[in-house]
Amino acid sequence: MYEEPYRWIEAVGNRRHYLDEQFTKGAPVVALAYADGILMLTVSRGTPKLYEIYDRIALGGMGHPADLEKLRFSLLEMAHIEGFNRSPSDVTGARLMKYGLAPAIKQAFEEIYKAPFIVKILLAELGAKPERDLFLTINYDGTFEESRRWASLGASADVQAQMGRYLDSQTGVEQAPLKQAVEMALCAWAVGSLAQAASDVVERETAADSVSANKAVSEASSLPDKATLLDHVRKIVAKKSLECILLERKGPGSSKYRALRPDELGGVLPSGVGVPHPA
Amino acid sequence: MQGDFFQLLKEQGYQFGNPVAAATGLEVPTATTILAMKYRDGVLVAGDRRATAGNMVMYDRTDKVLEIDRHSVMAIAGVPATAYEMVRVLEHSFKYYRRTQLQELSFEGKLRAVSKLLKENVPAALAGTGAVVPVFAGYDHEQAAAKIYFYDILGAEFEAVEYAVSGSGSPTIRGILHYVNTWGPQPLAALPEEQATVQALRLLSSAAEFDSATGGVNRELNLYPVVKLITAAGVHAIADVDLKRLYERDVVRGR
Repeated sequence: MYEEPYRWIEAVGNRRHYLDEQFTKGAPVVALAYADGILMLTVSRGTPKLYEIYDRIALGGMGHPADLEKLRFSLLEMAHIEGFNRSPSDVTGARLMKYGLAPAIKQAFEEIYKAPFIVKILLAELGAKPERDLFLTINYDGTFEESRRWASLGASADVQAQMGRYLDSQTGVEQAPLKQAVEMALCAWAVGSLAQAASDVVERETAADSVSANKAVSEASSLPDKATLLDHVRKIVAKKSLECILLERKGPGSSKYRALRPDELGGVLPSGVGVPHPA
Repeated sequence: MQGDFFQLLKEQGYQFGNPVAAATGLEVPTATTILAMKYRDGVLVAGDRRATAGNMVMYDRTDKVLEIDRHSVMAIAGVPATAYEMVRVLEHSFKYYRRTQLQELSFEGKLRAVSKLLKENVPAALAGTGAVVPVFAGYDHEQAAAKIYFYDILGAEFEAVEYAVSGSGSPTIRGILHYVNTWGPQPLAALPEEQATVQALRLLSSAAEFDSATGGVNRELNLYPVVKLITAAGVHAIADVDLKRLYERDVVRGR
């Protein structure tokens, strides 16, 4: 029945709806450039969501762990073969995204007889100089975007836009030392997490009461203050574990990726947030 | 097997060590001197910097003590082309394993990877076009100890208790190492960093004295051997200025 164009469009629409729903309970991911390189963080329950791909490239993901793992492996394979056959400097985030991830994700999304990848992926690439740092994000349908100073993953475009608004409102992120950068990233993460929770409420209430739904939307669009955000982080971190990785420009050796150990993380967290559960 | 980069390369059509018909009158060309020895804080690995082709000196700034990752180095004697390729394969293999499996390859695993490559390389080694006799040294976190292993060209692996040497200049210093270690004021394993470095410089200078294929110190060009230290903190190369200072203080004989 999908041979007819209309049916196909309808099927893809259904698929979007289904996929959007899969991400509502996921944890947002935030990546930003700070004084010594790039920082990426998220909160996870059990399975890690941040990974090392190559010497200067890190991956953050949302979605189904098995799908994420499959795509992660294909990226690792592509990056290492390329790095060996050509050179490590020929392994770039843009090429991994354009030739590695995007075609596979788009194809899986549009082949409506098969299962799509339930993933959103963020690639962070550490440049030789700060102005060459690059962030790439890809949605479950294969559309990808490039950005310079920061990037985020959230359940919906709206959630990501709010996290973006928060990060845009912060000044001097690029010059911030680690401790300050962690705080900003945590706040941005909380903006996303709260927005997701709010839109969840909206969805549940839309059917029953359209007035309160509108109210919730307008509330969600104004950014909460820092105390509220950190309080939210504190509550979540008490139950789940905080993951934080760095790509350090001046790190020793060729691999610049490093996961912050729990004790290090304890030292850079804003006061009151406390040491998270060891990952 | 998941996480095996070398297997992945082969699936992509990569071939390591071209099989060539074995030549007669085999003579393994290993014109160089490399040495590894245990000292107080870990392992010291040093190598001269000369690359030769027959009687000709090709290059005097070769680095034969190559870092494979933050905790292991391979010092190479033999055909440089094969040796560098081996290091490249190993470097990528260890990284690929760590990144796919989300854990560091064990020290034993790294040793196996080295002998596997040497084994694959046997045909080329026998043909005389690709023989490599490496010394592998690294820090084993599980046992909290720095270790030295040496290999023959066929891939057999041997653990060195105190020191290992390889290359054409090695017969000269092997005897010295034995003498110093047995009857010296203190065994090599007790030497602090600076004294161990001085010993390495003296040993390589002795090797250069008797072996034309080993480059010694060239003070005019400010050329010193490569000396790297492996401790729990990782691999650390001693800077030329420090080598120069130690050389002038403790190696040059005052007249």
